[in-house]
Amino acid sequence: MRPDFFQFLRSPLLWIPVAIAACLPWGLSAYHLAIGTLALLYVSLALAWNVVGGIAGQISLANSVFVGTGALLASALYIRLGIDMWFGMVIAAAVSAILGVFMSLLDARFRLGHLSFALVTLAFAEIGELVVAGTDFLGGASGLDLPKDHGRFWLFEFGGGPGYFWAALVLALICLVVNQAILSSRLGYYLRALRDNEDAAQAIGIELFRSKATGMAISAALSSVAGTLFARYSNFVDPTLLASPNLTIEIVLIATIGGLGTPLGPLIAALVLIPVGEILRGQFGGTLPGLHFFLYGVLIIVVVLTSPQGIVPRLLSLRRRFRRA
Amino acid sequence: MTELLIQTVVQGLLVGGGYALVALSLGLTYNVSGIINFAHGDFLTLAMYLALALQTAWALDPYVSTVITFPLLFVSGVALYWFLLRPVARSQLLMVIQLTLGVTFVLQNGILMVFGGQPVRVPSDWEASLLILGDSLFLRTPQVLAFAGSLLLALLLWIVLDHTETGRRIRAVHQNPRAAALMGIDVPRVRTLTFGVGIGIQAIAGALLIPGTPIEPGQGFRYTVIPLMALVMGGLSDFRGIYLAAILIGVTEALGTVFVSGTSGMIVPYALFVLVLLLRPQGLFRRA
Repeated sequence: MRPDFFQFLRSPLLWIPVAIAACLPWGLSAYHLAIGTLALLYVSLALAWNVVGGIAGQISLANSVFVGTGALLASALYIRLGIDMWFGMVIAAAVSAILGVFMSLLDARFRLGHLSFALVTLAFAEIGELVVAGTDFLGGASGLDLPKDHGRFWLFEFGGGPGYFWAALVLALICLVVNQAILSSRLGYYLRALRDNEDAAQAIGIELFRSKATGMAISAALSSVAGTLFARYSNFVDPTLLASPNLTIEIVLIATIGGLGTPLGPLIAALVLIPVGEILRGQFGGTLPGLHFFLYGVLIIVVVLTSPQGIVPRLLSLRRRFRRA
Repeated sequence: MTELLIQTVVQGLLVGGGYALVALSLGLTYNVSGIINFAHGDFLTLAMYLALALQTAWALDPYVSTVITFPLLFVSGVALYWFLLRPVARSQLLMVIQLTLGVTFVLQNGILMVFGGQPVRVPSDWEASLLILGDSLFLRTPQVLAFAGSLLLALLLWIVLDHTETGRRIRAVHQNPRAAALMGIDVPRVRTLTFGVGIGIQAIAGALLIPGTPIEPGQGFRYTVIPLMALVMGGLSDFRGIYLAAILIGVTEALGTVFVSGTSGMIVPYALFVLVLLLRPQGLFRRA
């Protein structure tokens, strides 16, 4: 672990925004707090994806599987077998990690580069949706209803808006720290070396499968935990929302618009785009459903064409140039 | 039992023919441009909704309206390649994939905003028509037409690629774009036009698949994934392999749906895909 990681942990640039965010539940209306919670959940999802998509440079299209596993498996274990959702969360995260490693294994066998990985994960996303729809234990196509939240923390109940906002904040913070930790550790260097030149990286002794599988397992477990929290927060698990490939594409697009590789891009993009999308949905949801997705699509096309490194790194480099001038 | 089996296999063959059509056009665009277009299936959706609009406006049968939808999709394919993909074609493959995912969102939600999200059927004169072979084999005429259409198109593609000057240019661009450019072939032009044709074929595929199939804005993804699987299983640039793989997916899907209970039957083709990747990563019909 490089020393700059500990610098990052001590930095006021990290803790001041977190402290301000933690005070938000006292200042926001319930509606805006809900949007904030959603934005923080997407921050976690985008950062979890960034481990594989940004740092390792592989387009993973299976994150909906992990989110769905976290949401559906943990909920089903709680409802059907009475297993505490904290424990269910850990089980689901472990299952997701194993699935992720299996996908890496397939990818390592079938070496077509980025294309094969995108395909393998995409096939899994489709399989995941079908498995969920066909399994009664997981609620089938109609989803799962969770019992009422009584604020019992030991049962993974956070008791209403502010509680879930803080839980989502903690999770987003964990994802951010994990991203930063990977970036300043051996694994981060391995993954970036593999991303930039797979053959050269292997030639100097970096193990392809082990590095990629580790990254994938971390990404999968974090996505899964976000799924569990999302399920408990919304009290209802909607399989068409959580287990469908559309969720993955949304995460991928948000992370890419922000800028891949560094945690800052996906973080800021999710914090900006989700509230804008939600407000647009609130305004136009009845007359123009899908408008916010349409705009995401247009935005990503513009970003790829004009600043492929993403908006946040672009703004940072503009600022540097401005200072120098 | 055997009757059901035969009926199912034939049904699967016919559905597979439809997949093959989409897979071949995807293969054509991939091989010439090196770009996997994740919005490919959404252009099929677009073609189907255009057919729906034409049917509502002027009562045109989807088969007839191909005369209008083909040029429209050809132009949109040309525009897609020229304005969006060509500028980024040299940058990272990741970025290109992201861009086509963006196009997916634009098309899907554009269609959603215009036509609404309810699944609709496009009425067609052929919809209910059946062909009866022997005394127990029932075939839906539109599916037979779709299968015949896909065979015809595959044949046409083969003739054009293997036996004409245009085909020689396209293959040259596929095999070695640099050398092709040195031989005086206008590579961007060939790529753009091929992309146009590849997307244009979706208009034909759409017309052939429409009768009896409900359409909805979000279906495009499925029509990208299945042809992509066929593409990979077939070995990427082997058009016969792609065709056979698409048929195989159709048959396994039909068998799975009939003989495995519930929606889990639909998993069978995906399981087959994962199996093929594990055992024959170079493609089903290719020698290693």
